[in-house]
This record gives sequence, structure tokens and C-alpha cells, in this order.
Amino acid sequence: MSQREFFIDYSRCIGCQACVQACAECDTHRGTSMIHLETIERLDSVQTAPQVCMHCENPVCARVCPADAIKKTPDGVVQSSLKPRCIACSNCVVSCPFGVPKYMAEFEQMMKCDMCYDRSSVGKKPMCAAVCPSGALTFTTMEEIQRTRRGIPVNSWTFGEEEVKTKVYVMVPREVDRVNVDLIQIAPTPSALPADPYDVALMLEVQQ
Amino acid sequence: MAKLSDTIPNLVQHFGPTLHSIPSGGWTRNPQDEKLVKTHCCFCGQQCGIQLRVNNNKVVGFEPWETFPFNKGKLCPKGVKRYMQDEHPDRLKMPLQRIEGRGFEPLAWEPAMQRVVSEIRRIQERYGKDAFAVLTGASLTNEKAYLMGKFARVALQTANIDYNGRLCMVSAGAASKKIFGIDRSANPWSDIPKAKVILIAGANVAETAPITTDYLWQARENGAKLIILDPRMTPIARNADLFIPVRPGGDMAIFNGMLHIMIERGWIDREFIAQHTSGFDAVAETVRKYTPDFAAKIAGVPADMIVKVAELWGPAPTSFLLHARGIEHHSKGVDNCIAAINLVVASGRIGREGCGYAMITGQGNGQGGREQGQKCDQLPGSRDISNPEHRKYIAGVWGVPEESIPQKGLSAVPLVEAIHDGRIKGLISICFNPAVSLPDGNFVREALSKLEFYVNIDFFLSESGRYADIVLPGSLMEEDEGTTTNVEGRVILHRKAVSPPGEAREDWKILCDLAGLLGHKERFSYASPKEIFEELRVASKGGTSDYYGMSWERIDENNGMFWPCPEPGHPGTPRLYEGGKFGHPDGKAHFMPVEWRPSAEMPDAEYPIILTTGRVVSHFLSGTQTRRIGALMDQYPQPRCEMHPRLAEQLGVSDGGFVKVESRRGQIVVRALVVKTIRPDTVFVPYHWPLDRSANNCTIRAIDPVSNIPEFKICAVRISKTDQPTDEIAILGVEAGGIR
Amino acid sequence: MKPPITTPRISDTAHAMLWGLIAAMTLIVGILAGSRGLRDFDPALVSYAGASVLAGFGLGYRYAMWLRRPPTRLYWHRGWQIFLNPRRLPANLAHLARIVWNSVVLQRFIDRRSHLRWTAHWFLAWGCILAAAVTFPLSFGWVRFETAQDNQEIYRAFLFGIPLGSFHLGTTIAELTFNILDIAAVMVLIGVFFALWRRGRDHGAWSVQQFSNDMLPLIFLFAISITGLFLTISTHLMRGIYYGFLSQLHAITVILTLLYLPFGKFFHIFQRPAQLAIDFYKQDGAAGPQAGCSRCGQPFASRMHIDDLKTIQAALGIRYQLADGTHYQDVCPACRRKNLALTQDGLWKSQGPNPRGC
Repeated sequence: MSQREFFIDYSRCIGCQACVQACAECDTHRGTSMIHLETIERLDSVQTAPQVCMHCENPVCARVCPADAIKKTPDGVVQSSLKPRCIACSNCVVSCPFGVPKYMAEFEQMMKCDMCYDRSSVGKKPMCAAVCPSGALTFTTMEEIQRTRRGIPVNSWTFGEEEVKTKVYVMVPREVDRVNVDLIQIAPTPSALPADPYDVALMLEVQQ
Repeated sequence: MAKLSDTIPNLVQHFGPTLHSIPSGGWTRNPQDEKLVKTHCCFCGQQCGIQLRVNNNKVVGFEPWETFPFNKGKLCPKGVKRYMQDEHPDRLKMPLQRIEGRGFEPLAWEPAMQRVVSEIRRIQERYGKDAFAVLTGASLTNEKAYLMGKFARVALQTANIDYNGRLCMVSAGAASKKIFGIDRSANPWSDIPKAKVILIAGANVAETAPITTDYLWQARENGAKLIILDPRMTPIARNADLFIPVRPGGDMAIFNGMLHIMIERGWIDREFIAQHTSGFDAVAETVRKYTPDFAAKIAGVPADMIVKVAELWGPAPTSFLLHARGIEHHSKGVDNCIAAINLVVASGRIGREGCGYAMITGQGNGQGGREQGQKCDQLPGSRDISNPEHRKYIAGVWGVPEESIPQKGLSAVPLVEAIHDGRIKGLISICFNPAVSLPDGNFVREALSKLEFYVNIDFFLSESGRYADIVLPGSLMEEDEGTTTNVEGRVILHRKAVSPPGEAREDWKILCDLAGLLGHKERFSYASPKEIFEELRVASKGGTSDYYGMSWERIDENNGMFWPCPEPGHPGTPRLYEGGKFGHPDGKAHFMPVEWRPSAEMPDAEYPIILTTGRVVSHFLSGTQTRRIGALMDQYPQPRCEMHPRLAEQLGVSDGGFVKVESRRGQIVVRALVVKTIRPDTVFVPYHWPLDRSANNCTIRAIDPVSNIPEFKICAVRISKTDQPTDEIAILGVEAGGIR
Repeated sequence: MKPPITTPRISDTAHAMLWGLIAAMTLIVGILAGSRGLRDFDPALVSYAGASVLAGFGLGYRYAMWLRRPPTRLYWHRGWQIFLNPRRLPANLAHLARIVWNSVVLQRFIDRRSHLRWTAHWFLAWGCILAAAVTFPLSFGWVRFETAQDNQEIYRAFLFGIPLGSFHLGTTIAELTFNILDIAAVMVLIGVFFALWRRGRDHGAWSVQQFSNDMLPLIFLFAISITGLFLTISTHLMRGIYYGFLSQLHAITVILTLLYLPFGKFFHIFQRPAQLAIDFYKQDGAAGPQAGCSRCGQPFASRMHIDDLKTIQAALGIRYQLADGTHYQDVCPACRRKNLALTQDGLWKSQGPNPRGC
């Protein structure tokens, strides 16, 4: 079987938090959940989104770390900060373009998603992707994802002028080859859509 | 007397709910000490495969079971954390007896059982056999469900046995039986991704059947259109192609309106209707008046939505219809389901690949639990208790005279009403927490406190158990073995992972011992649940839900088997109605015309708002299990009243503020959750919490005339802003019914 | 305050070599002066002193290299700037005492990670500190013992040639003094035992550990302690048998460890105090203005931290400026996550309802 990769499709997320609960069952950080699950704007929508570490090829978190505490394994997985080194400065927390690292005040250490290294390093699925009921988080082969999804996986991003390549892929429509995050959407929904696309009262009104 | 024997805060202090947050043995673990037990989740009708990690007779964690075909390792948060109910501090490990004014005290098994038997005898001798009732549950294994039915009819000889599936699947079951002739989802879930149009009515799939999500998204990847009917925009609805925010109770108008347009535009399969169905003309006649405008008025949505949904559904090449409690929990629940099924049959898209119909089962063994004869009107094999042939067959299997089997008894709600008015004096209950789960909670709790004798079998002291005279410590799913039947009709095997702790016993042993003490030892002398299954299989032979050809070994080898499976070599039946062959004796589907009627209680000037109730993803039913698991409580700690900002503004309520929700029957105080994703005329409160946080304090004791399902989905309330309550219940932990 | 980053003028290596040499020279001068021109120096311990000088070079080199990293340099300067601020110095010193007590002496933060980890680390750390406090001054000739001229039963101790005091043989203090290294060795062995126990029992720990980083240091410490203990056993219980061989073996383990000091896991002993600076930096940041997220408006870090990060990012070539003139660094982590999901969901939504379907 060929190498399995991690794929995210935020739009599939149903906010059930199975990933959050399962993340705390991973042995490298059991009892502490590392994954983020964002409720985008509950007043306006039921949209939610999970965020695992994207495992950048040249991780910004490691570059801004004063203690040289963030290391990547040979197979490309960016690990939690090394416990003896991390000086708890939070540079990584506020610099990561994906908002991934967590500063654990209790332990005075940065911890983050390590793709369940105890599992993925021996060929098992990371906990979150193993349980995710919606397939928003999927750990499978490139062939399988291409066979089963309409979209395509990409792993190139830009944040302003910063180009980032990640180990983890995101599912996008076929004509997209890179996700450009240079427009900060202050409003909770994309500008292409009506102002309040999920307001039930408007749905009942507009068309009557 | 079964009145509360101590104050609620004292009972909570001794018996919980208490939050359990750290697994047995701590967070670090050494896999070398563990074994993996392949079994299934206990927390909904999908019955996902899961592997439990067991160390030294303790469940210490889980591992996804990726090769189980239904869920392929996927789990919802309840599945992930279900292992935390083991080694729980609240676990009952000794029989308890009620001591007036002092709560409960431990008691040895022998005197506990003697007391139960003598009370049963006393009540039945004094008031008649039927004065002792049985309330049982749809989360029990098939073997236990079968045993409960047999226990009631043979050992107690009471007509009054019913189960909490009465709050769940009975409307869907009755409708399916009426039209198709069989009460089961028609297709395996693997047909869902093959359908081009999927209509989901009244099912918050993301929270109540999360594993089904991937099947839906997979269908979308394959090009399917998704239609959702729900008063709330649920997470699935957000990505639907058409979301119809229907007014609670208005679904039937949409179904009839759709059929009206389908007939008008020729989107019905006339050939299929002619060959494989009967009664279509009457239906066509009924839907004639359901023009889009007429239907729209009832459904409370714009008429063009009804046109659009018909345009999507009508000409579809393949389609799948799913529904759940949203359309079933009504005093017209059966008719709602019939209207939905009419759409399926009229399209002729049933019984083939990618074409089908399913009801989304809620409770753990919601499907199997209603087949084995623990319903008031049923005998094993989905047999009819009033049918002489059926009675005779089962009497033969049980080795009892046919006339000794009681006739049809009371269903859950009338049964509790009979307790309230003194016709029923004694009760044994298992796997049922009516104090939280039945409508009109104040009435129900009052009824429980009127019982002369109440024995409760449970693993935790539930809110209902507090009213018991004797509590017998039973078993969790992982402490016993047996089969359940999942949402698809797939019979699967639950393995025993650990043995019951302390002096707790497997439920089936408790029942067999009780039956023995009541003088029926020879008919309840099973050595194991497997022996019960062997009898169940024979009892089901020739019935609708025929398990005769199954064995535990075959179930295990095949990752589950679909009934009917009439012969030992039979492969089982994943897809029903292939070739247009339906379950009625004439082989046809029987159309039934249904007419919309108002709900039992419509909003009025005094109580102007519709209250609808339902579930959240991190809790299961009455919460007696999930409110004890720390991580699940963290996820959703207390009920909130969802309301639209327009309504909130009218009421002067802000997000997070305290509101009093009042109906003619009772009230609750909860925090408001102000969201635009709900209809402005409707509020939603989840029902998993007890006492002053129990949504069922407000709901109405109205039932469907056919299925007897309560009308949980609509009652009239008024809402007002209030202050944070500070009474003795309010200051309890949120898991016990407090508020923060 | 001006961002204290300057472009290095000479190559990093040369710069670090220079600091290595300075460290080594300082140590040599210290040895010469502290041993009163080698008068108190014990020639038998010359290999230890030599290895220490080499380790001194390595540490100086490594520390200087470390400080060349823009984020490290920034915190180094900022840390001192804030700490030495004359108005705050007294309060800072008091705060320093508090965190030294909690984080260095008691190591409470490790206990919160795991009790077992704390037990292992506390014994290892204090065993090593105790041993180092004795052996380094001894091998540098800074401390020496001699018997009193008039009484063979009395020992006198000297620090830098200055008499510290005396004690009588057979007293508790004498026993403690002569066996202090054995006590330290036993402490270290207890620590090694707990560390190995933890690593053997905890699936999470053994799946991320590396031999060179996590096991090797334990092996070094075990080797030093056990050979040291054997020396004592040889002397007192086995009439000096194999003493020569054992002392050479012990010396080799110590020297290897000293040479490993700057490059392996042990470097954290010198690096970790930087956390004290972070503590002051955070305190100072919290007292000053906060940076609000440009999406949600909520404060998410100190203004100083965000401004400093922008400087660091510029030095590292991380370009977060956005097309509309705003800066991605001004978006809080939660909004970044939300923004990503909205962007991706928007890509699908902008194609109309179910773009995958038609």
C-alpha cells in the first residue's frame, strides 16, 4: 500500500468534536487535546472547522523559536516543543500561519498536534482522522482521495507574500492549485454570498 | 411507598451523577498490558464497531475498529468517551433498599430478591396480575429484550409491559409496516452514496447519527443533491442543496405538496404503481388540494420551496429518503411517516441499488429492541399479540398454554397514567428513565411516587431509580454479551469486555433468578445469553423479523447479518423489496392517504411560541450515562434555549441570559442561545437533563393514536427573562440538574 | 524601545569561536588564580580540569551560536533591558528569587507535567548539582582539604587558599563530606531508574523518544554514577582491588560527558535560564499596551511581542504583509483558523450550490 497522507476538507465539518475527544486519547499527549475546533460564528451560522498541524516543510514555528525547541522528524512531522528546551515564549503560537501551537500555561510549554506520532509513525491513522464521522479529517492514500472526491488536494498556501508548503493537504475545487489567504474576511462569510446566508428568518422572508 | 426517601441534594451526593474524567489507571498507558475487545458502541442505533482496551478486567481506553464495514473506525464523541462509564465512582455494586428519610442502604442479594418476589406476589394477588407492570428499554440486547417480554408474559403474566422505544421508533415502525408490510429500514447504508437525490426529514444527522454524515457527503461527492427539512439549520443543512426550514408539525404538507406536483408533472412511476402497489388513487385524491400555496401555508415556508423540492425529488434517477424523530414525535407521527413513504413508493425508487428508504434509529438497539416482544402489543419475531396464530406459535416455543399469554397491554404513556390513577400498583423497570424521558415530567414523577412497590434494575442510580424501593445492580453493555440490530437491520455481536464489578450481575441472570423465584425456573434456565439467542431465533422463525438462520458464529464471521434470514444457509437480506416485492401477503405496497391535522397544542395568545425538543451530540437520551462522563459534559454542560435574534429581541433576552420557558404543564429555567439558524416562531431545548432543567417538564402528554408516540416535537410555551435561580436544585452540579 | 537586532558583522562561526575561546580562557585564568598559581591544584585531577576547559570552549561556542538566532538575540537583549531597568530592579530581584525557588529548586512546572517525570528529574538535577558543586572546585584546585598539623583526626578545608573551617573525623559532617559524591551518585541513579521506568511504561514517551537525545544522557549519568560508586566500594569493601582501572574508567565517563555537555540534551542546563527572561518579558508586555486582532478585535498578545515578532520575521525573511496593506501577524490565532475554513468553504460555495453535483 502506498504512503497515507492527511487531508482536510473544512466544509465537511459538522462540529461534533469527536476529533477533540479522540485527540486526548493519543498517547503522546493523552489527557490533553491538541486539535482545534472552531465555531466560526454561532450567532450567524452552524459552521465549524477543525485545525490540525499542517506540518510545514519549513515551519514558521521552528524558525521563530528562540530556543531551537521545535523539531521535524525525518518523515516530515513537526513535533511538540522539546520539553527541556521550550522557554514558553509563545513566539510559535502567535506566528504560526495556521494558528496551531498551543501554549499550555500549566506545563509552561508549547504543545501541538504531532499527527499522533505514536500511531502515524507505525502506520496507524491519527486519532482525529480515524474517528472523524464527516470525513473532514481523512488519513488515506493519494489514490483513494482522488478516486472518492470531486475536488483535488493541494498543499500550497500563501499568506500575503509568504509561501507555505505543507505535508497536510486541503481539498479544493479542481481549478484551484493554491490557497491564497491574503484577504482577511472580517465578516463571517465570504463576500461572494448574501450577507447572512444562514439566517432562517431571511430564508422564510426573501422568497415569499 | 415509592416517594423520594431523601432530599435530592443528598441523593445526588451519594449516588451522583458524578463526573468521571480520568480513566482507570491514569492517562499514561502501556499497550503491552492490554487486550483489545472488538465490540460495539452502546450510544445510538448505528451501533458503530469499536475496540475496547482492557487491562486487568478494567476498560482503560479504546481503539478504532477500522475493518468494521458500517463505520470503518469512525466514532462520535460519545463513542470515543464511552469507555469512561467503566470504573465509574457512581457504579452500583450492591442491591439497595429504600430507607425512609435516609435514602438507600446496601442489602444482600438474597433478601433483596425475596423482597421483590413477595411484593410482586402481594400486589398481583391483591390487585390482579396486570397491576404489576414492566417498563423496559430499547438499548438492551436482543436477548434481554426477548427475555423481558417472556418474563412479563410467562413469569408475571401481566399484560402491561412496554418499552422506551415507544418514545423513539414506533411511528416510523407503524408507518413502514402499514405501507411496506415490514418494519425495518429498507436499505443498507451502502446504498446512500449511490443515490442522486437524498431527502432527510426531521433528522439532525450531524448530532444524532454522526456516522451517517460521511455517507451523505460521499453521495454529494458522487453528485447527489441533498434536501433537508428541519425547523433549525443543522450542520448538514448548511451544505444542503435545498434547506426547507419547516414549521414543526408542518412536514406532512410538504410531502403531500410534493406528491401533488409530482402527479401534476408526471414524475410518478405509473407502471410501478400499477404492478406493485395498491391504494394510489385515494392518495392522489387526497393530495389534490395540497397545491404549493396550500401546503406552504401549513408548512410555514415559501411556496416556491415546495416547488423546488418537488423539482429535485420528482425526476431524480435514483433517490433515498431518510427520516427520524423530527417528523415522528407527533400526535400525527405515523401519518407524517406515511406521507413521506408515499413519496418513495410513488416514485418507484425502492428496492434497488441507490434507491431506498430508511428511518434513522435512535436508541442503542432501537431496531432489535422492537422485534423481540417487549412491546405491549407484540410477541417475538415482530408478531402480533392479538393474532391467534402468532400467540399459538409463541406459546409453543415457551411451553405455556396459549391462553396464559396476556393480551395487549398499555403502552408507555397510558401505563404511567394508569400508575398515576392507581390502576397499576407495582413496577419493575430496566433501561428506562421515565422521570427524565417521558413528556409532562411533573406528572410522571408524581406517578412514580404513587407506586406501592417499584424495583429498578440499573448500573447507575437514575433519576427514576431514586423513586425505587429496591434497586438491583445490573450490567453495562461491555459487562455482558449479546446481539443488537443496528439502524440498517444488521444483527451484530457485542462481546463481553469485563465482568460486572462488586456484586453487580448480568441483567439476564437477575431476570432468570427472579423468574425462578416466581416459580418458573424451568422456562428461564439459560446457561448464557447465547442460549437465549438460540430460543429467540426459533421464536422469530416465520415472523417478519426472522433470525432463524443466524447464529452468533455467522454474525461474527460476516460482521453482522441482515434479517430476514430464514434458513441456516441464507445470506441474510441487506436490501428489502427487491423486484418490487413488499412485505404484505399480497406482495404489494399499500398506499395510504393522510391528511394534515393540527398538533395537540398549537401556539396561542397565552403560550405563543412553539417549543421543540431534541438531542445534542455529546449526550444520549436521558443522560443517565453521558451526564456522568466529564469530557462529554465539558462539551455540552447544560441545556440552552435556542432562539432567533428577532424573538430574543421581542422578549428582551440576550445571548447567554437566563430565561424561563413555561408551558401549561411545567417550566424550566435555562440560558438562552441566540442564533439566526432557527425559525423565529420556534425555540429548541435539548432534553438530556433532569429536574428543573428537563425540557420534558414542558412537553405535552399527547400521543399518536396508532403508534402511541408522545408529541415531543411541539408544544406551546411562553418565555420570559429571569434571574439566575439559586434554589437547592439550581446550585447542584449541571450534571445533576443545576445551572451555571 | 528600538528593536535590538543588528546584522552580524563577522561570520557566525568565527564569532562563536571567539566566544568559545573567551570562555575557555576565562576558565583557565580562574583555575590559575583560584588555585593560587596551581599551588592548590591536584595534578591527579588534571584530566578533569582539561576536559572542563574544553567543555568551557564548547559551551561558549554553542551559546554564542544560539544567540545569533534573531529570536534568541531579541529576547536576550530585551530580557536584560527589562530586568536591569533601574526603577524595576528591586521588584525584579524579588520576582527572580521567587521563580528560582519554584522553577529551579522545586521544579514545580515539571511536576504538573507528570509526577514520575518530576521525581526522575529532581533526583537527576540535584544529584548532578551536588556532584558538580564538589568536583569542579576540587579539580580546579579551588577547594582543598588537609589534616591539621597537630591532630591527624582533624581535617581543615580551604577555599581559594582561605581557611573555611575544620571538622573532626568521625563526626556526621566528616561522613557527609567524604561521602557526598556517593550520595550524589545514589540520587542520580534513583533519577535514572525513575526516568527509565517512565520511558518503559509510557507508550507516548517511547514513541517519540530518540536514542541520542533521550537515552544517551541517561547512559552517561548512569556510567559516571556507577563507576564512581565502584570506586568507593573498591576502597572500603574490596581493599582497593581494581582501583586503578576503575578510576580511569570513571575519568573517561566524566570526560566524555563534559565534552557532550554543549551539544546534547545537557545544554538545556545553560539554555533554560532564558525562561527567566521570558518571564520578565511577559510581565512587562502584560503591563503595556495589548495587540488587538484585526479580525475580531480581541487582544491576543502584547503590542511589544507582536512588534518584536514582526522584526524577527523580517530578519528571518517571513513575509506576512498582505496585499491590502494589512499584516497577517495582526490576526489572532483563532481568527487565522476561522479564516482558513471560511476561505476553503468559500472556494466551494462560490461555485454555487453543490458544485460537486452538477
